[in-house]
Amino acid sequence: MDAAAMERRGMNSDAGGAWRPRLAAGVRIRVDPADGRERLLFPEAALELNETAAAIIRLCDGRRALAEIVRELAGQFGDATALARETEEFLAAMRERRLVE
Amino acid sequence: MNPPPPPRSLVAELTYRCPLGCLYCSNPVELAKSRAELSTADWSRAFAQAAALGVMQLHLTGGEPLLRDDLTELAAAARACDLYINLITSGAGLNEARLDALRAAGLDHVQLSLQDAGEAGADYVAGVRTHRRKIATARMIARLKIPLTLNFVVHRLNLDRVGAMIDLAAELGARRVELASAQFHGWALLNRAHLMPAREQNDRAEEIVRAAAERLRGVIEVVFVRNDYLAGRPKPCMGGWGRGTIVIDPAGRAMPCQAAASIRGLEFPDVRSATLEEIWRDSPVFNAFRGYDWMKEPCRSCPERERDFGGCRCQAFALAGDATATDPACALSPHHRTVLAARTESPASSEPIYRAAEGGRAAFSRQ
Repeated sequence: MDAAAMERRGMNSDAGGAWRPRLAAGVRIRVDPADGRERLLFPEAALELNETAAAIIRLCDGRRALAEIVRELAGQFGDATALARETEEFLAAMRERRLVE
Repeated sequence: MNPPPPPRSLVAELTYRCPLGCLYCSNPVELAKSRAELSTADWSRAFAQAAALGVMQLHLTGGEPLLRDDLTELAAAARACDLYINLITSGAGLNEARLDALRAAGLDHVQLSLQDAGEAGADYVAGVRTHRRKIATARMIARLKIPLTLNFVVHRLNLDRVGAMIDLAAELGARRVELASAQFHGWALLNRAHLMPAREQNDRAEEIVRAAAERLRGVIEVVFVRNDYLAGRPKPCMGGWGRGTIVIDPAGRAMPCQAAASIRGLEFPDVRSATLEEIWRDSPVFNAFRGYDWMKEPCRSCPERERDFGGCRCQAFALAGDATATDPACALSPHHRTVLAARTESPASSEPIYRAAEGGRAAFSRQ
């Protein structure tokens, strides 16, 4: 696997720490007027986001590091340790689907 | 009856004109009947009505949508109502200036079709010399950083090269590659005997795709759409009739799926004389196969009905002569033997039939 592929998979050494997640090109978040919920739009689907997921995605602006995102949300969504783990897992899954980079 | 949940996607078939003549094309065989096309204003109004109704995704397709001179204007109209815009194209007629303009107008994503991994095979299926230009177009899309899906329709003539197709897609910088088994509607049904893969060939290809999807996880998304004749299970066509999608054909007829006009006896409302809300909620054609009451056995009492909705209505009509029948692709269908027979039929003629494009076959620069 070449370096670029490794990086896309998050296999570089500072995968967690220095990663400043942002929505991949072609991915948008918007409110669904039908039910007021936030959805992530990409070519194949509209993924429904729960409140936590939507809050995380809104902070994926390419400027904030993962840890900063967790810090900002800790006030809103309770237990910091659990939130850190959930955020990391969620964003890793989103990255694997190439929705977040 | 309760009002149906809102539609989520709109498939806008902007034109049936296309410079390609693909053997697997699922457009209606009787293209000549539908030469009239909706105006820019008609489409723009339909986009706004769709968005108000709950549609979030718009697929601009055809034919070849780039043959519409007003495509950029249409993209802008769609973006003005916040629709997610996916352009489904052969790439014919796309240059950098036009792509730039489309992106500025709000285009979100491009799905580019390729017919094979290599030039000779691809151009044979398309009936015109187009592969080389498509590769250059894919590179241009990637260079402009517009997210790209490559779509290969796969069948007997190219299934042995799925590995090379996936490698090509990764090399071209696509974020996703779809290997979609030919669906036997329209021209593909005429050419079924030429396109139907042998079970072993299909299974080998599926195995290669599975391995590649695993190897390339996080690099490119690899999707395989199965051949329903071989699967023994029907496809949940359109996610169910009138459940999430509205198709509008070039002449302005609203339909629950792209092949619906192949079912005789259905009348399709015109988007110029009714609103999409009225069409979605009240039109007889959108209600024809909603829910489960229209079903016959074995679907009616089958637990799978909530997953597959009885399969494809157009295929039931084409193969069983009855749009309310169980899709014969289902092993439980009393007509399943027609599907079994089609798996091993030999072509009636040695030459497949190319989709008639504008001006018919003579217009092609055949090789």
